[in-house]
Order: sequence, then structure tokens, then C-alpha cells
Amino acid sequence: MTAIRKFLVPSLVTLAVFSATLWLAAQEPASAPAGPPMAASSTGSSAGPHPATSVASSNAASPAARKIEPVRSSAADRLEGEKRFKANCGRCHQAPPKFPPRVMATAIRHMRVRATITDDDMKLILKYMQQ
Amino acid sequence: MASGNPSGVPGHHRPAPASGLRGPAGNFANSVWLAAFLALTIACAPAVRAQSDDTDSPKPVSVLNVGAGFITTFDGGDAHLGPLISPVLLIPIGDRWLIESRTTFESDLSQPPWSNSFKGYVQKEVDYFQLDFIANPYLTVTVGRFLTPFGIFNERLYPIWIRNLQTDPLILPIATGPSNASTGAMLRGGFALHPKVELNYAVYFSALSTVSPVDSDRAAGGRVGLYFPGPRLEFGGSFQRHLVDVHSNAFGFHFAWQPRALPLDLRAEYARAFTGSGYWVESAYRLSQVHRWEDAMRRAQIVARMQQYFTGASPATSILPVNTKFFEYGLNYTIFQDFRAVSSYGRQFTPAGNSNIWTVGLTYRFVAALGRGE
Repeated sequence: MTAIRKFLVPSLVTLAVFSATLWLAAQEPASAPAGPPMAASSTGSSAGPHPATSVASSNAASPAARKIEPVRSSAADRLEGEKRFKANCGRCHQAPPKFPPRVMATAIRHMRVRATITDDDMKLILKYMQQ
Repeated sequence: MASGNPSGVPGHHRPAPASGLRGPAGNFANSVWLAAFLALTIACAPAVRAQSDDTDSPKPVSVLNVGAGFITTFDGGDAHLGPLISPVLLIPIGDRWLIESRTTFESDLSQPPWSNSFKGYVQKEVDYFQLDFIANPYLTVTVGRFLTPFGIFNERLYPIWIRNLQTDPLILPIATGPSNASTGAMLRGGFALHPKVELNYAVYFSALSTVSPVDSDRAAGGRVGLYFPGPRLEFGGSFQRHLVDVHSNAFGFHFAWQPRALPLDLRAEYARAFTGSGYWVESAYRLSQVHRWEDAMRRAQIVARMQQYFTGASPATSILPVNTKFFEYGLNYTIFQDFRAVSSYGRQFTPAGNSNIWTVGLTYRFVAALGRGE
């Protein structure tokens, strides 16, 4: 009985802290930026459309869409790269800053081995991180 | 890590080394080597470029990535000072090769009863020193000393600047070998099974090494995981056949989930072997969605972890001598990029007695190019 009390009390305290935090979060509109200012948050910071999305969408509806195809493709790649960056890198650690391109090329190769990220993910993340 | 074993009990009880590659172990090992050789041959046959096909991609440069920290642990009232530095060296060669190594220098300074000063010695470990060959998009071949791919903590979450709590999980030594590393060969990779599902795997064979600080056990095993990028959910399992003295099996499961709607990390592992069994469950919540004191809140993270360890069939071969339960709560604060203040409080329950374990410290990571980075 004592042991149960000793386990239950800290568990309930933890639950209460988490609940209170979530309640506080729910009190405000979700318009403020998420994540630390120095980098994107490791998790949950991808909610909401990226500005590139609307750019790409408006471009697609434009009569001049054919002319800006490369730009749209680049924006789409960037969006996809950012998405995969957050999904893959944030699984273990905070999103790192953008290192110089050659450093990033090494880091992503290291992560490909260490975190077994896929070839497609690697290419898109590398492209995103080097922009 | 110096603060990794809160019970103060040595984490490893490695059986005495066996001699030679003879009998069933030798046959098994030879089969593994043969299979690895065949897989390597097959994998290298098609000239598939594993790296980016873009000819204008920047060439990778050698990189030094250093994690450092100073963690003070109060274990049952006894203070332990734990300075640590862990440099990672990455040397890319061409488009497909990578040499990577990590060495850890750490100390556990404590105050002997007869002294007023803290004393200890520096422990050195070669965590990994490996040569990677990216054969194709599905396969990477690794030889050398590598982190044993059993569960997710050892490979992904161990570095001091990554981990949310500075103590190791109690079950970390299960099936990871001495120094949590293996010496031999490994095949690994990750690829998309489906647009919504990715598979990652690792299979390895490790030879026996009794040379410190590169000691390892003879073992073979693997890990496989499924990752669902949509819900950011991953689960998988690990297996190992231990081939030193008493041959035995170990297995484990892991789980990780990062819901999109919340800055929350949920992770869990279970492991079972002749040295014991147990699990840990950890949740970490970044307070970035709290809109009061925003600047401070988005840098703060609260963590909770519960874990339980059960001794193996024989206490003599178990990682810990008694069943143990451990609850831990932490608060981390990112001062600036990769520089954190960390703290935690834990309560450990054992039949021999309960104790409080506090940690407080700083962790830092920096990256430097060993050449022109641009």
C-alpha cells in the first residue's frame, strides 16, 4: 500500500503538471510562433501552413504559372524539405541551426547512417538546410 | 555516463571471455560474415549513386562536433561532480564513404570520507570508430566499432546535449555490451515502404574484444523499426544472440511518438535478457504553447520518466542486484542554441532502501568545420 502511494502520488503530480500546462496552452489562440527563437521547436512546430504554401498555391492559379514553374518546384521542395526536416531531425533532438553548406552535407550523411533516414529524406533535408 | 547508474551499482557484469571462434558460435559467426559479404557484393553490383545526384551539391567537409557538460548529482545525499566532454569526428571521403568516431572523457568526482576534496579519475571510452560505406539508397555497410543497435536510446538519445534526463535508463546495459558498443560489421539502412511508412533496419555481428577501451562482446543481432511520418510515430523491435559463454537471447521493443499538435515527445523501451528485464517511459513537453512569459516558456521543457528493472534469473549476472523502480522529473532550459541548463529530481525504490537523486548541470554542443565550410 505504501509503495502504491509512493508511486501514485508522483505520477498524479506529473499528470497534474502536464494537464495544467495543456490547459494554459488551450487558453490562448494558437497564432503565436512555436519553438525556441533560435530554431524551430523539436516537435509540434509544423502546425499551420508555411508561407511557401500560399505562394505555391497562388502561383498554381496564376496564368503565368508555366513561367514560374522552377520557382514553384523550388518552393514545394523547400516546403517538403522543411516538413521532413522537422519530422526526422526532431525525432531525437532540437532542430539544429543552418550550418554552412559543406558542414551540412557532412552532418546529413552522418545522420543518414546514425538515424537511418531515407535517401529521399536526406536529399530534401539537405536542400532545405542549404537554402 | 558518470551519473548514468543512479544506484551506484556497476552496470555491466560481463562474463569471462571465451576463447576462439569454435563450435556452434564459430559456425554462426562464419555464416554471418558470409551473409554480410554476399549482401555487400550484391549491394555494390548496381552502380547506384547513394548521395545526391546534383553535381552542384557542396562537397562535404570534415567536421568536429563536440558535446560537453558538467553534471552534479546528489545520490542519496552524496554529491558527485561529473565533467564530460565527447568529441565526434566526421571525415567524409568521396560521395559514399564516411569515417566517424566518438570518444568520451568523463569523470565521477566524489568526496571520500577522509577528505574534504573531490577525487576521481578520468574515464576514456571509444564509443564508436567506424567506416561507413553508403552502398545504395537501401544499404549502408559499417565496419569497425559501432554503437550496438539495440533499442533507440543507445544510438540516438545518448549524447549529453540530446538526452532529456541526464541519468541513463536502468535497462541501457541490456544487450548493448561493454561501453554500449560492438566491434565488427553492420548492415543498416532506411527506405520508404510506402509514402506513409518508412522502414529502418540494422543487423550486425560483433566480435569479442577485451582490449580497453574498445572492449566488446561476441554477439549478433538486429533491430527493425517502422516509422510513420504522418503521425510521427515509430515502433520497432530489437534482437540479439549473445555468443559469450552462456549463449542467450535478448529482445526488446521501442516506441516513439511526437504528436503534431503538441510539442511533446513520448518515448518508451522494453528490454529482456538473462541479465534482467525492464522498461522506461519518458515524456518531454516543451512549453512553447504557453503564451505567458513566452520567451522563457518556449525555452523550457519539462520531462518525466518512469522506469522499472527486474533482476534476471541469477542476481550474480544481473545488471542490478535487486528489483528497482525509478521515477524522475526534470526541467531543462535552453539558454541559447545547444546550450542548456538541466535539472532533475528522482526517487528510486528498491528493497534495500529508497533514495532521492538530484541532478543539476549545464550541457553544450558546438560544431566546427575542419576546413572551408562554405
